[in-house]
Amino acid sequence: MSGKSLMRVNLTTGAVSTEPLKEAWLKDFIGGRGYATKLLFEELSPGVDPLSPENKLVLAVGPLSGSNVPTGGRSMAATKSPLTGFIACSNTGGQWGAEFARTGNAFLVVEGRAEKPVYLWIKDDRVEIRDAGAVWGQDTAVTTDRLPKEVGDDRAKVACIGPAGERGSKIACIVNDKTRAMGRSGVGAVMGAKNLKAVVVRGSKTWTAVDPEGLKEALRIGMQKIKENGVTSQGLPAYGTAVLVNIVNAAGSFPYRNFQSGFMPEADRQSGETLAATLLTGKRACYACPIACGRGTKVGDKEGEGPEYESTWSLGANCGVVELETITLANYLCNELGLDTISAGGTVSAAMELYEKGFLPASDLEGGPKPRFGSGEALLYWVEKMGKAEGRLGRLLAEGSARLCEAYGHPEFSITVKKQELPAYDPRGIQGIGLTYATSNRGACHVRGYMISAEVLGVPQKLDPWVTEGKPEWTKAFNDLTAAIDSSGMCLFTSFALSADDYAAFLKAGAGLIGSTEELMRCGERIWNLERLFNLREGLDPKKDDTLPKRLLEEPLPDGAAKGMVSRVPEMMPEYYRARGWDERGVPTEAKLRELGLEVREGP
Amino acid sequence: MIRVRFFGQIREIAKTKETEVADCPTVGSLLVLLSENYGRDFRPEELIVMVNGRHIAHTGFLETPLKSEDLVSVFPVIGGG
Repeated sequence: MSGKSLMRVNLTTGAVSTEPLKEAWLKDFIGGRGYATKLLFEELSPGVDPLSPENKLVLAVGPLSGSNVPTGGRSMAATKSPLTGFIACSNTGGQWGAEFARTGNAFLVVEGRAEKPVYLWIKDDRVEIRDAGAVWGQDTAVTTDRLPKEVGDDRAKVACIGPAGERGSKIACIVNDKTRAMGRSGVGAVMGAKNLKAVVVRGSKTWTAVDPEGLKEALRIGMQKIKENGVTSQGLPAYGTAVLVNIVNAAGSFPYRNFQSGFMPEADRQSGETLAATLLTGKRACYACPIACGRGTKVGDKEGEGPEYESTWSLGANCGVVELETITLANYLCNELGLDTISAGGTVSAAMELYEKGFLPASDLEGGPKPRFGSGEALLYWVEKMGKAEGRLGRLLAEGSARLCEAYGHPEFSITVKKQELPAYDPRGIQGIGLTYATSNRGACHVRGYMISAEVLGVPQKLDPWVTEGKPEWTKAFNDLTAAIDSSGMCLFTSFALSADDYAAFLKAGAGLIGSTEELMRCGERIWNLERLFNLREGLDPKKDDTLPKRLLEEPLPDGAAKGMVSRVPEMMPEYYRARGWDERGVPTEAKLRELGLEVREGP
Repeated sequence: MIRVRFFGQIREIAKTKETEVADCPTVGSLLVLLSENYGRDFRPEELIVMVNGRHIAHTGFLETPLKSEDLVSVFPVIGGG
């Protein structure tokens, strides 16, 4: 990583520069998510408007991206989120990240705003700012097909926005390789606000390990674990992530109809098992991935990838839609328009509840189908309007459910934390994941501390999902380890098989970073705390922001295995703050910041 | 009757999505019966077993009592996100 560079492009002035990476930051923040957060913390003015030229978009890889370490091809987009107003970092697989790493760059920092739509063509250390007139307005599939031809290199990889990002949708994502996405927190809107349609990359540099013999040994151990683990060697390859549909539904925690229930009677009809028996055309693997959880699918004559578990749920169960074909088409549509599937489904479901309860007037539909739970026709129609920000309701949907529900005077139907839609696990039946949602620095998120692994799947230990004891400490450990894994350039899914020791070994032998497991965890903790400091600087109010929607705290689940339960997040929060070394208000103490080597500045 | 549902690869081993079983006092005795029915590919040590949506690790493991109308869900070891 130390041989790699940071490329800076100012779209207002057209200035381009390359900088060496800061060794001290690599040591403290690893790379990827951690390093990008440090950069944003240092360079962004507090209170910056996320959609203004003054915000910066960082596309990043980790020190293991582009390597032969399993799943070492991740990339991410970090910025100040227009959805939450806090830090964003959205992580993706596919091939783009490894190709970007081969250009010799580890970071691309995009500043300013182009006068007219442009795209970047990065070939090794050269970058061109090119006119994007021919693809502006096009969907991500067309853009991804056309741009490699335009630059004259069929093997170039494309990360781009669709119409949603162009039109400033706060739930727009950046799509790479057509079917993978830096999905959450509206990072696509930031790219669109810069008039940046795409980043096309092609590199020729090879990744080399700092200690090849050490890496060989670490790989032997790691690959053996992945091969022997039931999740990474059988469950995920055979059925994809949607293998979770049935088990989460059995636990009564598969949110149904905008979290009005946690049990969907027809869930098996949209499970990974059903997908494998019907629409599946083949497995798909990201760069250097031995797991291959991706799903090639086909509906009629339309082909694509997915839906993944989260998308199946958000566009399916959460909207009350049963048919897998419809869900799959809605997923394709989100990819093409460049919408985050979790937030898209969570926003349509909120509109459905508003409409069914009489708070969304029929006149606002402007002739479109009634958004009723279970209507596949309404789902497909309104996802399209949302992605294009068309019509009165389409424009509101594009803002995400928090602003939609606020506009109709019923914020309680927005199932969000920090204005970001919740993922596919009801925190009333699974207590620890609720704590992850409430404390996630990027708003509601399951992959900021995947407690489902311990609370439902039994990895690495079988924790009772109904109890709260011990969950704050577990959540903290998961938060910190995940921050380190994300920063390394590896995929979180490897953690079903690998432990912190393995990541430390890969980083040490591969990149000369991280001397021990303790240091890895300490880096993760440092990253988590820096994200927290960023958010506090942006006005985060822990009392208001570190909690769950009222429904989940006060309305007991009406049926299913967890019937009668509510989330007890408020009970767990003081212990979480204590476990983190934060004061009772949720602010990192001076002692904690000193311990982590983070500069102590004036409080919020 | 106790209802037993199979998921993931277990469906392929059992060659059915669902079955019913009478008179099994505990999860342990149920798993012995299922192993006899479905052969050596049905390996109880590699399963996630839930009774009425609760993982048996939290209800007494193999000693978890069963009664008529209970719903037992049998999964392979799985993950995702």
